[in-house]
Amino acid sequence: MAARPMREPAVLGQGGDMINVEGLTRTYGGFTAVDDVSFVCQPGRVTGFLGPNGAGKTTTMRVMVGLTPPTRGRVTIGGHLYSDIPNPGRHVGVLLDASAQHAGRTGREILTIGAQTMGLPKSRVDEMLALVSLSDGEANRRLRNYSLGMKQRLGIAHALLGDPSVLILDEPANGLDPAGIRWMRGLLKGYADRGGTVLLSSHLLHEVEIIADEMILIGRGKIVAQGDRKTLLARGAGAATSLVTALDNDALARALQAKGVEVTAAGEGLRVSAETVEVGRTALESGVVLTDLRSGGAGLEDLFLELTSDTQREGHPEAATQTGAQA
Amino acid sequence: MSATVPTLDVAGTGPVPLARLVKVEVRKALDTRAGFWFAVSIVGLVLAVEIIFGLVAAEADRTFENNLGIAGAVLGYFLPILVIMLVTSEASQRNGLVTFTLEPRRPRVVLAKFLAGMVLAVVVMVLSALMAVIGMLAGRGDDWGVDGNLVFNGFILSAAVAVLVGFAIATLLMNTPAAIVGYFAYTLILPTAVGILSALSDGFEEIAPWIEFNTAQTPLFMGDYTPTGEEWAQIATSGFIWLVIPLALGIRRLLRIEFK
Repeated sequence: MAARPMREPAVLGQGGDMINVEGLTRTYGGFTAVDDVSFVCQPGRVTGFLGPNGAGKTTTMRVMVGLTPPTRGRVTIGGHLYSDIPNPGRHVGVLLDASAQHAGRTGREILTIGAQTMGLPKSRVDEMLALVSLSDGEANRRLRNYSLGMKQRLGIAHALLGDPSVLILDEPANGLDPAGIRWMRGLLKGYADRGGTVLLSSHLLHEVEIIADEMILIGRGKIVAQGDRKTLLARGAGAATSLVTALDNDALARALQAKGVEVTAAGEGLRVSAETVEVGRTALESGVVLTDLRSGGAGLEDLFLELTSDTQREGHPEAATQTGAQA
Repeated sequence: MSATVPTLDVAGTGPVPLARLVKVEVRKALDTRAGFWFAVSIVGLVLAVEIIFGLVAAEADRTFENNLGIAGAVLGYFLPILVIMLVTSEASQRNGLVTFTLEPRRPRVVLAKFLAGMVLAVVVMVLSALMAVIGMLAGRGDDWGVDGNLVFNGFILSAAVAVLVGFAIATLLMNTPAAIVGYFAYTLILPTAVGILSALSDGFEEIAPWIEFNTAQTPLFMGDYTPTGEEWAQIATSGFIWLVIPLALGIRRLLRIEFK
């Protein structure tokens, strides 16, 4: 196997890599869906792949599992090209699109076909149905009668069928209700804690932020930032902000302004350009009762929007068509 | 490879055996309402035609050979559609995304689908032969003699060609409705058009069997069920145009298409 290119030490150091994306580029005619993307995913960690619609997440994942040939670069999983992995379902669990199944098959039949292809006993189907809490009645319904949330559960069951050591999930939380999202978070966390490698994509920061140990931000086919939450915050943070609500907002605002801190009204409270500790101290000094005080934490969201803003603001007709085709 | 990289240990896993892929593909052809009822309908249609034939045909015509020939003709029309649905649903219903993720070596999936089509063809053929027996019993025919050429040329070979034609059209169009329409255009409209042109022009009548596959196959079902050397040559040339070329292009497409 060819020598792997050197990477920034920040990414290494956590042990080895399981998924290794190296200089991946994919073009469609004149449109570059993925532009020289490199990143790694490590065992025991959940890696979040974050970006607005049409940023190239799905294309990257499709290349990973051999559905789309790369224009340049390559992806290896555990040192292998996906197409070189024998019976890949036993090693890599994949969910690219929960709706991409024959609408006329029942959920149970879809899992049975998967289990049969992978050479698994029938009992595995029941285990997986139980794991994702699809009842017998639901499992015997045809896919066309499934809600998006049920399809996602079925898709996750399908990805886990072969007891893989790597999971690649494209927008798995899409369509799940809040309880479902919490359930999935626990499931993936537990999976990673047992040493599994998880790569999941999302266009919703909040979804990824609470589950991912590592985040990769992609916008218009390019990686715009990557690292753990702290690294990203440090990078995007600049000035600290706090959100505060007090019984007497005006008094608090005056006290803060007296210290030369910038204060703006935000909803029922104030947005303050200072750390929470500073706001708390000021409140104590001026005897104002606080009802809510937290870090302005918009940090990550601001960073996300800022880094990907050109993708979101400009109408890029080709990009829009690509999204439609790949959504 | 450096020691820090956790290599996925795949040594203990063998590839998915082809037989298993074929088994799964056969299952996929029959596990949807459309697939299952279509297969049942083919056999049911053969039965209906056989019984009607047994009841209304002239006594001299009620031979097992004729009954078998009829079953073969009905099968030849409808078998390809079963194959078309099996292949095109991967794109139309989008489950190709999963199929080709579980077996990224696409040629194996293509081969498995073709073999599954043949397995289905054999099963449907055996059932249809049974229907032919029922047709004989219904018509109280007693000529059970069968020409081996009919069994091979009119029944087995034509069904195999039908499966391949369905396969070619399916892989070329990769869309269920389009492929079914395309198939009927090929099998009904094309021979009719060629027939009309042949009636108008003697020159065309000479050429037709060389370039039109349906016309060329007629000797397989007619007369002594044995094409002459020239007729075999016509089957080969027209088959090259209408079967080999589309099949090659279709399979090439299936191997490269990006399943979305």
